[in-house]
Amino acid sequence: MQLLPEAVLVLTALVLLGVTVAVESRSGRAVSGGLTLSIASAGVLLALLALFRVPAEGGSGTPLVAADSLARWTKGVILSLGLLAVLLPPAKREIANPGEFHALMLFAMAGLLLAAGTNHLLLLFVSLELASLSLYLLAGFPRTARASEASLKYFLFGGVSAAFMLFGLSLLYGFSQSAMLPVIAAKLGAAPDSALAMAGLLMVLVGLGFKLAAAPFHYWAPDVYQGAPATAVALVAAASKVAGVVVLVRLLVVGFHAASGSAAWGGMAAGWSLWLAVLAAVSIVFGNILAIAQTSVRRLLAYSAVANSGYLLVGLCANGRSAAGAALFYVVVYGLATLGALAVTAAVEREAGNDRPESFAGLVRRSPWRAIALLVFLSSLAGIPPLAGFFGKFALFSAALAESAESGAAGLVWLVGLAAVMSAVSLYYYLMILKQAFVMEASPSGEIQTHGISPAHALAVGLPAVALVVLGLVPSLLLDPITSALGELLAAR
Amino acid sequence: MTLPFFILFPLLGAVLLAFRRGAGAQGSGRFAMIWAAAALAWAGMLSTSAEVWSLPWIPDAGIELRFRMDGISFLFVVLTGLVTLIALAASSLSRKGDRAYFALILVLESALFGVFTARHFIPWFLCWEMTLIPAWLLIRLWGGAGASKAALRFFIMTLGGSAFMLVGFLALQLAVGTMDFDALGKLAAERVIAESLAKAFAFTGASGHTLLTLVALSVFLGLAVKLPVVPFHAWLPAAYAEAPTPVTMLLTGLLSKMGVYGLLRIFLPVFPEVLPSLAPLLSWLAVATVLLGAVAALAQTDLKRLLAYSSVNHLGYCALAVAAVAAVQTDRAAMSSAIAGTILQAFNHGIIASALFFGIGVLENRSRGQRGLNDFGGLRARTPVFCGLFGVAVFASLGLPGLSGFIGEFLIFNGTFALTPAAASVSVIGLLLTAVFLLRAIRKVFSGPLKPSLAKWADLSPAERGVFGVAILLIVVPGLWPQSLLHFANPGIVQLLDLLSPIP
Amino acid sequence: MTPAWTIPSAFAGALLVLLLPARMAGLSRVIALASAILGAVAAGSSCLARLGAPDAPVWSLDRPWIPAFGIRFHLAADGLSLALILLTGIVAIAGVLFSWNVEKRPRAFFAFFLTIIGGVYGVFLSRDGFLLFVFYEIVILPKYMLIAIWGSTRKEYGAMKLTMYSIGASALILVGLATAFAASGGTSFDLAHLAAASYPPALQAWAFPVLFLGFAVLAGMWPFHTWAPTGHVAAPTAASMLLAGVVMKLGAYGALCVAMPLFPQGFDQWRPVIAALAVIGILHGALTALSQKDLKFVIGYSSVSHMGFILLGLAAATHWGLRGAMLQMISHGIIAGLLFGIAGRVVYERTHTRDLAALKDFDLWKTLPGAALGFTLATAASMGLPGFSGFVAEVSVVIGLWQAWPWLVLAVALGIILTGAFSLRALHKAFFPARNATDPAPRALPALSWPEVSAIALLILVSAAIGIYPKPWVLLIDDGLRSPLFQSILTKP
Repeated sequence: MQLLPEAVLVLTALVLLGVTVAVESRSGRAVSGGLTLSIASAGVLLALLALFRVPAEGGSGTPLVAADSLARWTKGVILSLGLLAVLLPPAKREIANPGEFHALMLFAMAGLLLAAGTNHLLLLFVSLELASLSLYLLAGFPRTARASEASLKYFLFGGVSAAFMLFGLSLLYGFSQSAMLPVIAAKLGAAPDSALAMAGLLMVLVGLGFKLAAAPFHYWAPDVYQGAPATAVALVAAASKVAGVVVLVRLLVVGFHAASGSAAWGGMAAGWSLWLAVLAAVSIVFGNILAIAQTSVRRLLAYSAVANSGYLLVGLCANGRSAAGAALFYVVVYGLATLGALAVTAAVEREAGNDRPESFAGLVRRSPWRAIALLVFLSSLAGIPPLAGFFGKFALFSAALAESAESGAAGLVWLVGLAAVMSAVSLYYYLMILKQAFVMEASPSGEIQTHGISPAHALAVGLPAVALVVLGLVPSLLLDPITSALGELLAAR
Repeated sequence: MTLPFFILFPLLGAVLLAFRRGAGAQGSGRFAMIWAAAALAWAGMLSTSAEVWSLPWIPDAGIELRFRMDGISFLFVVLTGLVTLIALAASSLSRKGDRAYFALILVLESALFGVFTARHFIPWFLCWEMTLIPAWLLIRLWGGAGASKAALRFFIMTLGGSAFMLVGFLALQLAVGTMDFDALGKLAAERVIAESLAKAFAFTGASGHTLLTLVALSVFLGLAVKLPVVPFHAWLPAAYAEAPTPVTMLLTGLLSKMGVYGLLRIFLPVFPEVLPSLAPLLSWLAVATVLLGAVAALAQTDLKRLLAYSSVNHLGYCALAVAAVAAVQTDRAAMSSAIAGTILQAFNHGIIASALFFGIGVLENRSRGQRGLNDFGGLRARTPVFCGLFGVAVFASLGLPGLSGFIGEFLIFNGTFALTPAAASVSVIGLLLTAVFLLRAIRKVFSGPLKPSLAKWADLSPAERGVFGVAILLIVVPGLWPQSLLHFANPGIVQLLDLLSPIP
Repeated sequence: MTPAWTIPSAFAGALLVLLLPARMAGLSRVIALASAILGAVAAGSSCLARLGAPDAPVWSLDRPWIPAFGIRFHLAADGLSLALILLTGIVAIAGVLFSWNVEKRPRAFFAFFLTIIGGVYGVFLSRDGFLLFVFYEIVILPKYMLIAIWGSTRKEYGAMKLTMYSIGASALILVGLATAFAASGGTSFDLAHLAAASYPPALQAWAFPVLFLGFAVLAGMWPFHTWAPTGHVAAPTAASMLLAGVVMKLGAYGALCVAMPLFPQGFDQWRPVIAALAVIGILHGALTALSQKDLKFVIGYSSVSHMGFILLGLAAATHWGLRGAMLQMISHGIIAGLLFGIAGRVVYERTHTRDLAALKDFDLWKTLPGAALGFTLATAASMGLPGFSGFVAEVSVVIGLWQAWPWLVLAVALGIILTGAFSLRALHKAFFPARNATDPAPRALPALSWPEVSAIALLILVSAAIGIYPKPWVLLIDDGLRSPLFQSILTKP
């Protein structure tokens, strides 16, 4: 019963494949992208409905599945983001073999949902792999050289990181004789200095770092963001990140709380908090600096993803409820913003043929709504109020400082300071794009034509924009459920 | 209650002029003269009223705009009215200036009214600074070839001096909580200012005397640039020479009097505690001013520059008197003489200098701008009336008894010889030198063979005679009857003396 | 009308302007003017109300907003805020009037303009640290847009430099605020609460400079001021007026009402440094202005110099000093608006040059006597000549300085003289040039339009009113300085 949403998704995927085969064998032509999109969207919506029907508490019947509010919340978010990702393409006939494409998306989502809702390390690994394999395939769909290269890189990196993760998980199992997080937490509480456990954790973190595109495990990201179809990238950027962060929260804040160490200036102690701090610092610096020089907007968004992973990790390394809550808030907001930015970029790509910033020139004249939406998305990413991204960053930094304050007066200020300054730097490269859209006039050679947009695409652009504005003004809408879900989780440990 | 309106009256005239788009130069000139005449008449009527008016600014700090008219102020205000009127007449007669020009002169007049009636440092400073821009514009826009530079130097040096004056007074505000001249005078009479300064600036460790000396010097600096006192006179010769002659009248006749007035109204009453120690410096500066003015005048060939340096010399006597009063404060009679002399010298020099520059203006008008000593000769034959009237003015400037210039100098020397005999003796040389260069000037311009270029010259027109005549009248009457002026000045002089050397 | 009307009047105006159809774009300036007047009237009536009832409790509006972080929507209007919002209202009206003839994309122009005004009102009225920061950051993007789209000399470079400095400084403010939040228990962002908490001196030693610097950069403190002349020159007239006149005051206000009260011991330690930098700024700004060839650059550097007075007054930390700083904030706001308005709008529009040497040919006092008169009066005001607002401010700062560091008064005297020098130089070169009789006659220029005349008259009258009768302003400021926030800062009455 707990796994109803996942089941719905898988079923829909199978139905989709069946329909594809049926239609193609009957009519000889490829199935229409619109049809598969509709079926896929319907499936996701059904899964969302199913989520509400799943009982809130009570045992799940199997120890593999965690039946807490965090799982529910995360699944809801992943499904919503996934729906938006599905709706994203600017036009209907973009992808060859849309049936398989959408089916793979549904499989990926199912994998992410499973990962978000489990406390069992092995199930975690399997579901993450399900998602990853689907994503590798999705990345290579367009059959262009670039997409193939992206897919291959993704696969190779992913494979290596999966190996790390598995090895680490096996070490953890060796340490605790169990693959259940609560048990590991208890064992760790008794023996906090276990080298075995720390080694295992380190390797798991490497694997998860890849998933989150944290530096230095991010090398797949620019190529994938640039080569893969926009829908797939959206799924990677948004939904996959959410799942990744939730997994980290469960793993670290709940499971490995005792081994956190400290990253406070002047009071550093070995532990995952310190490792995350280093990872965060590297990601923030790398991501922001490398983004400045990009000439492809998609690659820029990839490096932005790296930097944002860094910010998220800052929140996580503070090892507290408020900070973790802020991180969860931030990742959702980030997902919405990047998804929206990708949607607009996809539309501009279609019109101009490439995704250089110059293609955005004069956007405010030819499609004012899209330009305003882009303004919302990029401002949110840069952290400009009154948008949700601003509050997310603000909350993240404040909470990180507040919760590390116990371990010393200065605490994480060095990291927060770095993050704040680099975040300011990020405005530079976002402004480069916005400048094109608002300030520059379109070149008169007329190579940029405006195509019509499908209603699905309009939703994919409009909903995140509205959401970012609303959440910016009333962040409690999102923050409160997170806080209570985390509270429940932490009380249980 | 009418005092603020009186002060603002010329300014109102300027504003009205600004809006009368169609008025040409002549029309504007007439308007300005009528307006200035009205102001003068009003000034005359204010004499008996000892009015006060104030507007609070920062009440809990005692900062307010406060104006009061008393005898000494009355004399200076009347001087302002008279010289302004003469200058306006000269401008009209020489066809100089346009609407903006006349408006600026009226603004200047308002500012001067304000300076001479202010009783608190803030309104004083407000009006003091208000003279800067109009004067700058007047010199610059209607002046001669070198007017730009001259105007700029005038502005910067005056501004510089006043910056120090401001800063010094603000220290007083901090120490004793007031910048009101009357209040400060009372406190000074009780000799408490130095202590208060020492207390307020205790953390610097300096003694009250030192601090008060510094404040006094900074205030003096501001006044010294205006007077001017050597070596702060560098702006004067160029400014006086390059400015159009009517403006020079204003500069020498009125703006320099701001410095004299300041010395009497502020410097002497507020700083008696340190005056004796500053006196030697002041004396020598005054002597230097007197001598340098005279010597430099001797060397000039440009009549305007000659008169400019002569002004420096004449006002040096005022500085001399003030320095003398600063030095010795026990001889009331001598002090009274010196101060009375200063006031009279100021008033009379204002009129005399205006008359002299009016004469130069006549020369310039007829000769199309020439004013060198050697450009003229033998004018007595062609323009006897002019020669006569101008001669009277020159002799007044020399200090001939019977004319107004004499009394001021007499009283000054009378007092100064008793107080600081050394300085006075040296300054007598100035008197001699003045005689030399002025007589030489007269000789060169009026005597000797008639220069051919002057052969066609007409004598003074009726209008010119009228103006010149009035000026001469104002020179002769006080010369014969000094009491006409002293009557107004005496109460103020007594008050000042009471502050300086209180009768036990 | 309460002060609360100011913020929505500006934002509503911006929204209305954006929603206008293209053919009614000319109406945007009318709406902008109405909005500006509404805000100014609200501010003015609130000032009068406060003056009439000085012992009544300060107007405030306090609603919960984001309880998870103790953030409240808290506005209040004491004397300081009231004086500054009145300044904003007046400058807003003048700014709209000076921009009456904007032809290019007027709706967007006035929308950005009004957004900045709204943000500024918000900063001056906020009593919650987060809220203040939100309003502080809202103005950043509109600033960029105004300069980049409607600006002139090197507009893109100027816009980007200004924006990056702004957001970089904001990052520092964020770190400072978050540190205060964390160290005060992480329960509330209310400024009074943050100020009342006591922080260990070691924390204040570094937290204060970080927070203060964040605000001081926006206030143009040397040596972080270089964005200001470049940005203000690049900006269109109305933006320069706003930026130099009002937005820079946000920095000074933040320094006074946030940085200093929060970390008073830190402030005490760093006071001499601030004073030294302020003096250098005054002198350096004046000296640089003395050598500029472009009229607008003269004004830009003169702004840096004038802001130095404000910072000096703050550093003196005596009642007179703070009073002087506030008076200078108001005075310079008006005067900068006037100078930029005339130089940018009246002169440049007609002569298309701001080069001092080139302006000689126009003999402006003959061809544009109104502008010459206005600029002369503005120069008088800028020099601190009595009768205008600058004098009162200077007097107060000097008295305050006498109490704190007497020998610095010498530097101030020097600054006053230098200011006189460069102001006069600009005035005489631009408006009263020395011409030979042989120079060609200048051509006639169009007379001043009624919006220009009204704006100039408004600003001059206000400056003169403050200069001749400063009492009501002094009362408002003293009312604000009575707040408990400042008790720990003031070293002497």
